[in-house]
Amino acid sequence: MRYGDFTTYDLLLLAQGLGVTVGLFLVTSLIGLVIGVLWGVVRFYRIPLLTPLITFIAELLKNSPVLVQLFLVFFGFPAFFHLNVTPVQAAIVTLSANTAAFIYVIAVSAIESVGREQIDAARAFGLSRWQVLRHVIAPQAAAFSIGPLTALLVNQLQVTSLISVIGVMDLAKIGATLNLRTLKPFIVWAVVGLLYYLTAKLIAAAGARYETRLRRFSEFRGL
Amino acid sequence: MLKVENVKKAFGAATVLDGVNLTVSPGEVVSILGSSGSGKSTLIRCINGLEKLNGGRIVIDDFDVAKPKELAEARKRSATVFQLFNLYPHMTTLQNIALAPVEVLKRPRAEVEQEARALLASVGLSDKVDAYPAHLSGGQRQRVGICRALAMKPRYLLLDEVTSALDPEMTAEVLAILAKLAREGTTMLFVTHEVDFARQISNRIVFLDKGVLLVDLPTKKFFAASGGLAQPRIAQFLSKMKKD
Amino acid sequence: MRLDLTILAPYLGFLGQGAALTAVICLLSLAGAVVLGMLVAIARTSQTVWIRRLAFIYVDVFRNIPFIVQLFFFYYGLPEIGIYIDAITTGVIALSIAGGAYASDAIRSGILAIDNGILEAAEVSGLSKRVTFTRIVLPIALRTSVRPLGSVLINMILTSSILSTITVNELTGQAKIVASDTFRPFEVYAVLLVVYAALTWLVSIGISRLHKRLNRDLASEAA
Repeated sequence: MRYGDFTTYDLLLLAQGLGVTVGLFLVTSLIGLVIGVLWGVVRFYRIPLLTPLITFIAELLKNSPVLVQLFLVFFGFPAFFHLNVTPVQAAIVTLSANTAAFIYVIAVSAIESVGREQIDAARAFGLSRWQVLRHVIAPQAAAFSIGPLTALLVNQLQVTSLISVIGVMDLAKIGATLNLRTLKPFIVWAVVGLLYYLTAKLIAAAGARYETRLRRFSEFRGL
Repeated sequence: MLKVENVKKAFGAATVLDGVNLTVSPGEVVSILGSSGSGKSTLIRCINGLEKLNGGRIVIDDFDVAKPKELAEARKRSATVFQLFNLYPHMTTLQNIALAPVEVLKRPRAEVEQEARALLASVGLSDKVDAYPAHLSGGQRQRVGICRALAMKPRYLLLDEVTSALDPEMTAEVLAILAKLAREGTTMLFVTHEVDFARQISNRIVFLDKGVLLVDLPTKKFFAASGGLAQPRIAQFLSKMKKD
Repeated sequence: MRLDLTILAPYLGFLGQGAALTAVICLLSLAGAVVLGMLVAIARTSQTVWIRRLAFIYVDVFRNIPFIVQLFFFYYGLPEIGIYIDAITTGVIALSIAGGAYASDAIRSGILAIDNGILEAAEVSGLSKRVTFTRIVLPIALRTSVRPLGSVLINMILTSSILSTITVNELTGQAKIVASDTFRPFEVYAVLLVVYAALTWLVSIGISRLHKRLNRDLASEAA
């Protein structure tokens, strides 16, 4: 066996890379979801100063390359704030913030999808703004956002691959390592691509399944 | 001669045309009357080849519409004016009219455009040569639609409820033009709801009911008590049309 | 910890070169993506099953695999099969192919939105399939898909930053050099982030204008 050949150990490496990718994807999606929804709530309450600030940050994050955001956190923060930032920390901060910006947009349009008259009616019954949000808006907005949310998550999974550039040992980075060692780019990147593809399909399928379940529920209630 | 021979057409289980026979000779104006769902429009769509026949034959000047090789020739001999105009929205009226004569008949563009301008002038739209359909009223659009059909110099003009989408004033604009065409001897097959107008301009009137051709009579006879009106379905249809 | 942007002044020309390269790459890739998108959109409305399926697979695959993996596949893979092209060309090809998958969706929905009556009018007047497509279907579909194609362009601008990982010195690539020259990564990447956001904002304004201009005569067909 030549040094450059594939070994069974490579399968373990790939699995490990996939694990890092999926793990970081799940963690940052969750953090992004919480922050993004929180931002949406801030907007719902029309908090002065905070609302325009959040909108501005979200626009900036949505309309700039994730790679540049990653560089800013990984190279810029240590230099400017004299912090120690590991690649994984930079990845978590950047991906969470980026996901939050997109979740914020979905949350805003989901809240807006609930008719004004419903909110007014609920308020007229004496429900507080929080009760309206909790009992009237939240269930409907959640149902509304499953579709866009699934599309976003499929996209964000792909975005995680950029953290390989700052040295996180995710699936793409394992691909780069194997590529360098075996010099078989077609096989390596095809396999890596396939793994990403299958994971993306898994997310899409889960989203679709959840959506049909939710829809059945809301149809039932609608009767 | 435009010949419809024992034509059958069904959409799934629903029979729309059930053995229709009809002949239109050059110079004739034939109106097709019938309530909605009687198959009138489907008949036009069979003649211009938009629908495939389930039986029978349609021949335009010896060219069989059902034969792919002959359809192109058959289509050169007929032209259709649609209920909803179907103008090309991204083209000016002039471009709308000139497209097919240049691309299909391979005629020189300059000549075609000159004719198109003359056609537009004849329907009172000289000032709309470079207008886009979106900027025209419904009546103006339909007049352009008629010009577009005439520019192909068809032997048979097929008109499919061309005034149904128009208000009375615009309907009058369009009908005036059709009356003029009839006087000039244009051969027309005219699917319509406008009973009175059909009576004025047609040589013959055909009545379709549930896909069956009930009568095919000279206009005078169709409206005579002993002719078409003797048919209960036709008397019913005409009295209902009057009420509307 | 002082934000000092004046240190960037000597590098403005250098960064400008990068921005110009980004612009060239994106415009070429947009052209490639639109041409490819058109072909794939046609293929997806084809009567032949296997052509339709092939087109669908292309769109599905390139939308569900991270761009960086696609890029490495071409960058490391093409020399393997004897195709030696420079990094910029590789980048343009990869961006065109990835963008084409999205552009085809935009153009396809533009085609499907065309009123059937217009196509029937073309058919009965004897226009051939080819003339109908080039003179009627395509001009209408391209006009109505200006906005979605604009989103493809904006995404392309952001994605083109990834070309810096294969030695292309577009805007992000040049910025990396400036960052390591000045030891001021925070300032460099913060400015870069804002520049990208401003750039995409300007492009989106341009697209809105173009959309209005091209569609001003294309209002509803209804009477």
